[in-house]
Amino acid sequence: MLEKKSLPCLLRPAPVVYLVAMCRAVPVNDLLDRASQRSDKMHSLSTLLTQEMDSHFPPYGRMQMPRPADCHTSALQTPNDKEQALQVSESDLMSLARSLLQAWVDPLAVLSTSAITLPHPSKSSISSKIQELQEHSKSLADGLDILSGKMGPSAQAISFLPYTGGTDLGQDRVTILNKFNFLLSCLRRDSHKIDSFLKVLRCRAAKLQPELC
Amino acid sequence: MYNARMRTHLGLVILCVLSAARVCSSTSAPESPRKFDCRSREKETFSCWWEPGSDGGLPTEYRLFYTQEREVRECPDYVSAGANSCFFDKKHTSIWAEYTMTVVATNALGNASEEFRITDVMEYVKPDPPVNVTVVVNSSAPSPFLEIRWKSPPDVDVRTGWVTLKYELRVKQNDSKEWKVNIGSETFFNFYNVYPGLLYMAQVRCKLDHGKWSEWSNTIFAEIPKNHQVEKYFWIFVFVFSLIPLLMGIYILLLKRNVVKQCLLPPVPGPKIKGLNAHLLKSGRSEDVVNALMGNQNFPPVAAWTEQVEDFLLVSDSDEWLLTDSFASEKKKDIFIIPAGLHLGLEIQCRDLSVDLNTWEKTDDSKEEAKSNFLNTEPINLPVEKHEFLNGEEMSIQPLANTSYVDIQQHPTLTDYSRVKEVNDNTILILNEEEIPHGLDAEEVKSEVSVPDDYSRVKEVNSDVVFLEKGDSTDGCCKKKEDHYTDWTNQKPIMPLESELSKGFCLKMIASGYVDSGPAFSVK
Repeated sequence: MLEKKSLPCLLRPAPVVYLVAMCRAVPVNDLLDRASQRSDKMHSLSTLLTQEMDSHFPPYGRMQMPRPADCHTSALQTPNDKEQALQVSESDLMSLARSLLQAWVDPLAVLSTSAITLPHPSKSSISSKIQELQEHSKSLADGLDILSGKMGPSAQAISFLPYTGGTDLGQDRVTILNKFNFLLSCLRRDSHKIDSFLKVLRCRAAKLQPELC
Repeated sequence: MYNARMRTHLGLVILCVLSAARVCSSTSAPESPRKFDCRSREKETFSCWWEPGSDGGLPTEYRLFYTQEREVRECPDYVSAGANSCFFDKKHTSIWAEYTMTVVATNALGNASEEFRITDVMEYVKPDPPVNVTVVVNSSAPSPFLEIRWKSPPDVDVRTGWVTLKYELRVKQNDSKEWKVNIGSETFFNFYNVYPGLLYMAQVRCKLDHGKWSEWSNTIFAEIPKNHQVEKYFWIFVFVFSLIPLLMGIYILLLKRNVVKQCLLPPVPGPKIKGLNAHLLKSGRSEDVVNALMGNQNFPPVAAWTEQVEDFLLVSDSDEWLLTDSFASEKKKDIFIIPAGLHLGLEIQCRDLSVDLNTWEKTDDSKEEAKSNFLNTEPINLPVEKHEFLNGEEMSIQPLANTSYVDIQQHPTLTDYSRVKEVNDNTILILNEEEIPHGLDAEEVKSEVSVPDDYSRVKEVNSDVVFLEKGDSTDGCCKKKEDHYTDWTNQKPIMPLESELSKGFCLKMIASGYVDSGPAFSVK
């Protein structure tokens, strides 16, 4: 969705002047709009995934649920309410979004392989949704790379948030399902953060077009 | 005495026991609260409610303590959200953060508490329904539709991008059970599937950031008005009014149909012949008919054929005849000239001759009979020639009109008509060669010419008649014109003969093929 070819004109080789005349950069507003649409789709998918998991097999009691602090991305300091979010600079918002997105590349791969053998009645539907999530994630990451290039060096900084859960979710059925559930809840939260930050960015960039907010 | 003391002790004990029993059954420590629920309306604040357990008969106080991985805090607002609630305002609300709530119920006898965990406030987001839902019936052409509009819930901030709202609209007819649903991000919708005269109802709800749907808004009703009677009456009015002049026009036309008939279909004049009285013809007498047509002319009696010696002029339009030696009978179109020993001394230029009946003049009584043969509907255009002769002689040719009959002034030596061997389509009488008198220039006479003894041996009468004087330089006299033949019916003989004739003349005549020997041709 975000076109890789829409490089900013300045990044193209300068000697050939006519190339500059030819290139038509997609405006930032448009890029942000596409990015936020992509992140919205990701958040929607992850919400559906958690609902699908819960509908059939809620393995945890309310108190046994792993805490969000246990998510591998909890170390990242992010704004937690509207006032805070509106005060963060655009570059930082972009950096946060990109960091979170990058942090989920490996876990999504683990989820994808585990979904095939998941002891759950809706595993095929779950598996397809996770694959779709992976595609969206990759596409969004590429697009944000381009966007951040237009926004400055601080936007391009990515915090490293390694996933240390390993490739295996567990041995027994209950453990597997619980881990799966936990990862999905972390994913839902992080995808919502990415979505919110990008939408704040979009609205801020489109001051002349309030209908984009 | 001993008995009285015993009785008072017993009474006191009973009293004590009774009073103790009363205290035990009505008061106790409170039960822990149950059923904890929260709700955020706009992703900025949230409220939580709990259901209190039994209070143990004593006034019980409930307190909520929460922690977010840090110090423990107490609920900032117990009032705004109602009884047994806690309201967290913007300052105390953190999205994506975990809350651990502890509700403590305390009374005089004890306390009880319960812990509740909020993993994410986003899980409890449920906005208020949209407000200001309005429906306007738009009656523009071609068909009416409903314009439905609404506004976002009042406390939701849609201007900063922090919140994304999605709306769901449903519309249905008042009577039916099926809702028509539309989901979108806009705050308006045009609903076209409406019919006049029916009542419709609509509702809207919204969703925040893929959270829970709000409640449905108030139902609004709208009725589509029936088809405008006024418009119908207007068109009926226009129709009737345009019909009146139309009917009047037709009536006038009918009244004056004769005049109209005269205008549109003028009567075609019937054929009229001068001097002809149509009524006379109707009477049916033959002599009347003849007189009407012929104009009361008296024909001289026609002499017997044999009594007359006649000259024959053969007129040809073709050079071929003159040039070729053999008289090919297949050359039917050729017109053969039989010299008849004419020494007319005429120098007549070949011209297109046109004549009409008026110029026709009979110089001989013998023409009388021939006249009847002139009844020909194809008048020959034979103009009277005057002043056009080379030798200066003034001559006029008055050829016969309407016939192919050309009469020539009689000359002493003439071949008899009966000697005509053949009359082609070109109406050339071919005389028998032997009979040709020597006086004639017989050079151009075909050797094959043989003239039968009587007329009855005429083989064929062609439609073309060309008369040429034999013997003269008729080479250039007549050009063969094949197309002459086709023109004859048009009565326009074309004879572009340019050469001069010293002695001969060329005549091209349109004829029906009849050549008579009557002295109809007079050369003066």
